[in-house]
Amino acid sequence: MLEYIISKYNFWVYIILLLIGLYAMVGKKNLVKKLIGMNIFQSAVILFYVSIGVKKGGATVPIFLGDAHAAHGHGHAIIEVASYINPLPHVLMLTAIVVSIATTGVALAVLILIFRRYKTLELDEIIKIRKDTGV
Amino acid sequence: MKVLAILIIVLTGGLLIYGVEDMPDWGDSNSPASSHVSPKYIKEALEKTATPNIVTAVLADYRGYDTMGETVVIFTAGIGCIIMLRKKRKGEGD
Repeated sequence: MLEYIISKYNFWVYIILLLIGLYAMVGKKNLVKKLIGMNIFQSAVILFYVSIGVKKGGATVPIFLGDAHAAHGHGHAIIEVASYINPLPHVLMLTAIVVSIATTGVALAVLILIFRRYKTLELDEIIKIRKDTGV
Repeated sequence: MKVLAILIIVLTGGLLIYGVEDMPDWGDSNSPASSHVSPKYIKEALEKTATPNIVTAVLADYRGYDTMGETVVIFTAGIGCIIMLRKKRKGEGD
């Protein structure tokens, strides 16, 4: 049982992080806190993907150094798959980070507009104002 | 509200913990994520793209359309921010 927990310990960490983000998104009433929760959620997913790419046993970053490039010139490069970590999750998460920055920027712009109109960022107060004015 | 939120958290957490059972161990080099297309990238990237950095080779060469879509996302987000935050001219809108 303990071995099972230790052998998959990265997943427990990301589950906790993801639940913190989800709670902030669902349970908090301030819109900025909701946005921060979304960022924590995205960070959890990004870290999860990066941890998928890890290989134990002396695997390094997926970059060929000078000697490998020289060997390529002769056409005799023997590349061990096990000696480089999985590059695919890194590529995907590079894209995901960029998209998360874009969504955060748009969300902050929307928050500025909401604040200009209602002079508050608390969700229950906004709902109350909308009910009172009948918008 | 708080009770509902905590209920959602507990349900989601239970599902996630249940799902971890099927995930590979940490650092497993034979995990599904690193056994289908990833070995091909590692073996062929240098020969086919002449790029020492495999991440760059996959990002800009094998999955170039993905990166193009990403730039479209950034462009759309920038345009959206500009439209939302620009100063309104006199007599335009609310």
